[in-house]
Amino acid sequence: MKDIKIQVNDLSLYYGEKKALKEISMQIPANKVTALIGPSGCGKSTFLRCINRMNDLIPSVSITGQMLVEGVDIYDKNVDVVNIRKKIGMVFQKSNPFPKSIYENVAYGPRINGIKSKRELDEIVETSLRQAAIWDELKDRLDDSALGLSGGQQQRLCIARTLAVSPDIILMDEPASALDPISTSKIEELVHQLKEKYTIIIVTHNMQQAARTSDYTAFFYLGELIEMGKTNTIFTKPEQKQTEDYITGRFG
Amino acid sequence: MASYFEIELEKLKNIIIKIGSLAENQVKESVKALLSEPVAEGKEVKKVENKIDKLDIKIDEVCQSIFALQQPVASDLRFIMSAMQISNEIERIGDLAVSIIKKSKNIKDKHDLIVKFNIADLARQVELITAKTNACFLTREESTIGEIFVLNKNIKKEAEDAIQGIIAEMKVNSKAVVSGTNLIIVLKHLERISEHCTNIAESVYFMIHAKIIKHEKFDEDKYNN
Repeated sequence: MKDIKIQVNDLSLYYGEKKALKEISMQIPANKVTALIGPSGCGKSTFLRCINRMNDLIPSVSITGQMLVEGVDIYDKNVDVVNIRKKIGMVFQKSNPFPKSIYENVAYGPRINGIKSKRELDEIVETSLRQAAIWDELKDRLDDSALGLSGGQQQRLCIARTLAVSPDIILMDEPASALDPISTSKIEELVHQLKEKYTIIIVTHNMQQAARTSDYTAFFYLGELIEMGKTNTIFTKPEQKQTEDYITGRFG
Repeated sequence: MASYFEIELEKLKNIIIKIGSLAENQVKESVKALLSEPVAEGKEVKKVENKIDKLDIKIDEVCQSIFALQQPVASDLRFIMSAMQISNEIERIGDLAVSIIKKSKNIKDKHDLIVKFNIADLARQVELITAKTNACFLTREESTIGEIFVLNKNIKKEAEDAIQGIIAEMKVNSKAVVSGTNLIIVLKHLERISEHCTNIAESVYFMIHAKIIKHEKFDEDKYNN
């Protein structure tokens, strides 16, 4: 790995007494797609949420260890969590557009960040929608409600909304699990294009999706990182038997 | 309880074992024909040849269906890739054996040349390498893979020596030219069988270790440890 975007050192997370992540150490490379795989409850989504401190919102959670994003520990008490979330965007399993127009959905973030010029906002909206590969479909109906879009379009709109605030890192939690195959392939294609500019971390239950979209794959089991490596290696010759058993469907 | 997928893999494995043992029998028959021992009837040989062809196609179909429906990865993927390769090699072994049977029956006065150039020993080694090849697919023992590589090396050398001897014989004895030429073709076939066995051993190695070793220069020590 050449350029490390995120360095994780001995990160553990507790829900009260329960240790949900156990001394995770890993390096996430910049401008690559890293997939997190593992059975339900293995900690992959919890880990993803650690990367933008989403778990701060759960009162019983405590975290030890380090999560260094570009060398800065985001759990340091001097770090402003708002800035972290600006820099690290997130796309969820269920698309969650605001009950506003398509335009306002994308312009919302930049507006909050203080951009007022209509011309500038127009530009950001167009660029973001183009990057999310949905501009051509939506350019003539920017004032329509986002809630009238199909599931696949809503998800790409949410990606555009994430891109509009110029993040460095995009976290995706099962972004295509509720979508049909065509919408899924559009999201996957998009992920592929976006990695040129962004570092992407994607949680997926769909092993083929992890294989198709990612450069690196990390396998989690019972809160532990069992193995991380190049996706090509993980899916052809994993080092750990547990990984082999999981990806070949013989788990348990 | 085995999953549906595991049952499919087991089915594939059994077809390969079956096609492998049919080809091994054909090789045995070909050696008998070469050494003028009583051999199965032509009809029977043809019947087995057809069976091998059908199983070869069946293996392709099963593999295609597993690829399309199960998206195999890691060791499963390697097994299926190897299965396709192996069945292809076995089918060729079967064809070569049939060709040896046909040719051998028509070589007159071959006995002296066979004795003179120790071709019986060579033929027995080819029988052995075929049997070991089937065994190595079944047991996946690395030591057997090593033995196959060593045998192949010997067979190639002995075949080449025999061919050179026959050529020399033909130069001085024109009566030996027709049977000598046919024997050279048979020797080349035996050598090819041995080569196909080695390819199968390489596939088995790939299946076990996920390392492609074909086209690698043979290193005896590497596989004999």
